[in-house]
Amino acid sequence: MPFSTITTPEARPVANYKMATRQEGGHLLYVSGQVARDTDGNVVGKGDMRTQARQVFQNLRQVLQAAGGDLKDLMKMTTYITDIEHFPAVAEVRSEVFQGELPASTLIVVKSLFNPDFLIEVEGIAAV
Amino acid sequence: MDRRDILPERPVERGRGYMPGVSVNPSRILFTAGLTGRNPDGSLVSGGMGPQTHRAFERLQAVLARAGARFEDGIKQLTYVTDLDAYNADGRSERAKFFGSSRAASTGLVVRRLADPAMLIEVELVVDVQGSPQGRPLLEKYNAEDHGGDFYQGVIVNGGRLIYLAGQVANNPDGSVAGVGDLRRQAEKVYDNIGAVLRAAGATPGSAVKETTWVLSIDTWRQQGTPARRAFYNGDYPASTLVEIPGLARPEFLVEIEVIAAVA
Repeated sequence: MPFSTITTPEARPVANYKMATRQEGGHLLYVSGQVARDTDGNVVGKGDMRTQARQVFQNLRQVLQAAGGDLKDLMKMTTYITDIEHFPAVAEVRSEVFQGELPASTLIVVKSLFNPDFLIEVEGIAAV
Repeated sequence: MDRRDILPERPVERGRGYMPGVSVNPSRILFTAGLTGRNPDGSLVSGGMGPQTHRAFERLQAVLARAGARFEDGIKQLTYVTDLDAYNADGRSERAKFFGSSRAASTGLVVRRLADPAMLIEVELVVDVQGSPQGRPLLEKYNAEDHGGDFYQGVIVNGGRLIYLAGQVANNPDGSVAGVGDLRRQAEKVYDNIGAVLRAAGATPGSAVKETTWVLSIDTWRQQGTPARRAFYNGDYPASTLVEIPGLARPEFLVEIEVIAAVA
């Protein structure tokens, strides 16, 4: 894997993610914020966080695979949601999708995303 | 330079001016600060979203030009707006004037507030810069204009290894939150944590390339958070973005800071 994981006993993650990652080679891949649209561009799971989150991670994975990688190659991921009450559902879907540890991660509650139907958007940086 | 656009644009992205993914073989990478519609004297341009968007991209263009880069070299764009309707009506068309047909990976967010309450848009870029890193310092931090702020408008990483930190919050190693209800203490703890992670990665505060600060209140942050930030960087600032949002992962968290750093 073209990146390494940084750990320190002084600062620990508050959940199941990596504190930091360092790119050691490969291509640096920036993935756009992924939202819950299917390949035809339709919004999937309007009002339903679980369905949206599953679609978002499927889309993220699709972009990573097109670059010759997969979710395991993610160094950093940022999850934007519109309501903190949805966080447990997001966490549940993330643990379905990521079999091991998450990448280095940030979670932010924003006022809204660029389409009011979207409840979640996830962007990522990978080394592939 | 070895840029690859990942996936042909899907219907989602078509006509919206971005790619699902962009990869590069990192040789020289420029991170810009989040730039806004400020005039050289610090005031905001008048006229709302259209003029503010135009001005923000004009300033980004100047930062790119200093690095010998153009918008076509953009890898990633992050756009923060406080009014989505205004952006769709008056901002998008201004962006298109600068970006033309080029396609960066992109994320757009509607946030509660930017540095100035009247600010409607802030844009930051990651750019693939031409030329060899040979013979250059690892980091080139610069300003394209005098702005008086505690940040650099552009930081070029020459051939280094990038370090991506998780968003850092005021958590103790035992998982408890430091400084509940106390932003000053949380800021100190967040920078302690950032310092510890950077040390573990073989880096220092001066290795920070880009910083994004997410706070629940910009006004409180300015009073209570900036002393810890100043002490941490000691003048050697990264390119920075400061954004006010309605919430973080736990209700106790008042600030979350994510940092990208680089080592040789």
